[in-house]
Amino acid sequence: MLLLWVVNMADQNKTDTEGKLFSEILSPSELFAARSRSHKIPVRGQKDFFPNDSDEQRQRLEQSLNEHWSLISEERVERLGNLVKAIWIPSDQIVELQSPAGKFWQTMGFSENGKQYLLPEEALYLMECGNVQVFYRDLPLSIQDGYERFLSSATVSLQQYQVFGHLKRLGYVVHRFDPSSEPSSYARQLNLPQSRDRAGRQLKRKRSPSPTATCSYTEAPVEPTVEKMEEDKCSLEGDHVKKLAASPDIQTATTSGSDEGRSWWTTDDLGASDKELHHSPTSRSSRWDFSSIPFPDVGSSERHPSCLAPPEPSLLPGDLTVGVCDIASWRRKINLRMVKMSSKEQKREEDKRRRRWDVNKDREVRRCRNWAEYHELLARRQRKRKGRPAHLWNREVTPLHDPRQPIPTGELLDKISVIKSTHLLEGASRLKGSEEWRICFNVYQPDTVADFKKSNPGKPYSRMCVCSFDGPVPDLRVIKLLAFQSGDIPVVFAVVDHGDISFYTFKDFQLPTDVFP
Amino acid sequence: MEESPSMDDHQDSSLVVGVGLCDSAPLLWRLQDLKTVRSLGLVGALLGSLPRTPRQNQRLGRPLLLLPEEEKLLRDEEAAGALPGQNQDVGGVELQRRFEEDQQRSFEEQSVLALEDRKSALLRAMTSSHTGSESGAEAVDEALRRRLEALDHSFTFPQSAMAVQLSTARAGLSYCPEARAHLQANWPIREQNSPRSDARCQVFRDLRGRGFFLTSAGKFGGDFLVYPGDPLRFHAHFIAVCLMLDESVCLLDVLAVARLGSNVKKTVLLCSPT
Repeated sequence: MLLLWVVNMADQNKTDTEGKLFSEILSPSELFAARSRSHKIPVRGQKDFFPNDSDEQRQRLEQSLNEHWSLISEERVERLGNLVKAIWIPSDQIVELQSPAGKFWQTMGFSENGKQYLLPEEALYLMECGNVQVFYRDLPLSIQDGYERFLSSATVSLQQYQVFGHLKRLGYVVHRFDPSSEPSSYARQLNLPQSRDRAGRQLKRKRSPSPTATCSYTEAPVEPTVEKMEEDKCSLEGDHVKKLAASPDIQTATTSGSDEGRSWWTTDDLGASDKELHHSPTSRSSRWDFSSIPFPDVGSSERHPSCLAPPEPSLLPGDLTVGVCDIASWRRKINLRMVKMSSKEQKREEDKRRRRWDVNKDREVRRCRNWAEYHELLARRQRKRKGRPAHLWNREVTPLHDPRQPIPTGELLDKISVIKSTHLLEGASRLKGSEEWRICFNVYQPDTVADFKKSNPGKPYSRMCVCSFDGPVPDLRVIKLLAFQSGDIPVVFAVVDHGDISFYTFKDFQLPTDVFP
Repeated sequence: MEESPSMDDHQDSSLVVGVGLCDSAPLLWRLQDLKTVRSLGLVGALLGSLPRTPRQNQRLGRPLLLLPEEEKLLRDEEAAGALPGQNQDVGGVELQRRFEEDQQRSFEEQSVLALEDRKSALLRAMTSSHTGSESGAEAVDEALRRRLEALDHSFTFPQSAMAVQLSTARAGLSYCPEARAHLQANWPIREQNSPRSDARCQVFRDLRGRGFFLTSAGKFGGDFLVYPGDPLRFHAHFIAVCLMLDESVCLLDVLAVARLGSNVKKTVLLCSPT
């Protein structure tokens, strides 16, 4: 019996508070008192690092939450005289003004048949700012009604409106993009393409064109469409690398940089490396044991045999046999110091050299068996001097360019280049439009507001394409397509992630070449 | 049955939250619903302009957008119901009439308040300027009385001076009583049944169950930002990346996300439901 009674009481409480709990209607006295509201937002203090169940933290949390709720719960209250009255026309998906427009008319809205209209996203933004009160069937719409009625795939999506609102709140002028009102490709052709140098220099000065208050990134340059050859083809073939045996002949040869027999890519698995060492020296292992590879230090001042022992025959191709190498003459040529001679001394040396020179001592001349061969030798040397050696020019495959022909460096680099540079708009005109990717807004900078003319807005600062992190990343085809549609205005991708918006843009980029024409 | 004094806490978490769809996104509009959801440890994301200062992006206002995982959690806990839409045709004329009446009543009340306000301002001005002199005390009273009388006759409160409310939620519209109702937990299932969204949901549940607060982390290259406590008071410690247990991950991606995490001073969690 008692329980039933308690239940009834609870229900009673419920019906009393129902309506009141969720009510957000301000009374006339509250409305009147709103005129003396503060317009400042409290500054957020420093956050704590880790929750520790302390009273202090609990208090601060309560304070933060209370502050949060009081800001969120505050309703918009405006003087009737300050509000512009408007009505929503769902058949046209448009908002018609019923009283004269305010300051916002300079950058928003349009006139038609003597009446003033606002686009749904503009109207909703102005509702949120407290400048416009929109009616439908003689009853005022709430912001909730605005969101639910004005935003749809037919007008502007919620994500697009988020971007719109974000940019508007920063002060930008944002208009819908109309691809048909862009200049034709011929008209754009009259804008000459920029030279390479300027592009390079501009890159250093310019940062991403996105609004500064939000995070903006510049993505990596676009890959050229031509198939890239493997530039870094690793020439290190594992097969050629073998361990050299510690041959008994080379006892005194020192090895360079030996470190306890550990090969340079040995893993921590010592067991494996030990096993490798015990293998026969001629086994094709891919581990190098520097302690057993003799690197004779020819340049050292220690006394060394003036002969290098021949390499292991198993390492040589075919039937090639190599004898001992006499390095005495080479050892004489190292560790020399350049002697600075005066011009007179230089001339004396020159004369001495010339007097010593004897054509008969020339080995190549001695190989000539008759005058015909000698003439041929001279001609060959002449050609070599003049830049057309026979081994290059008398075969099927000849060099790409004759060094005797003058050519500017830039052209030469182009001639010998394998990878042709391309730019973003190449081939873009042939691309067909995409359903899911399109530019939605033109964005004009905030400081142009004072002189802004809706009839002649001028060139936009950038164009927005709205997408989300849930969706696909724009591929090269999409980027080309949108860049083509946009002309010379950069396209910015506004990526919406629930509450946050990140702005990304792709910049066409030419690799700099150190060429001065 | 609960005792009445602790009714508030109990009420918060037992209330059904009203969700409205906008372009197929789940939005919360009523203040009480935002409070309820916060008391369940769900943060959401505010999308609208803040009424007090609409032209800035640091602090935003209602509506609150729910993550798909948050929406699913509310639905599974039977804590979400559909907000009633605006009745377009039913009783239009009657509602208009009532609205006009409400406006008229508000205008009259505000006029009275304005007059009172003006009178007290006058009183303050006159008494403060005569605090010095002692002689003409009666004269002051007489002057005051005459001025107040004049005010009664001449004072006008123009229509344009009336303050009106631009309601955020339909619950703030006087002609929409159904918007203020307690709702039934009738929110439908709207899940995308993909293994990835499943993984995300399970990870969300698990971490929420351990007391963490989670928000979206798209711009950090992850699925969720994980806070040790309410985001109003704490920084996020982790970036959670959700993977299926048998999903293969490119090593470069792991390195990239680890690098990103260290740049923003957060630990990256690779999470997979078993």
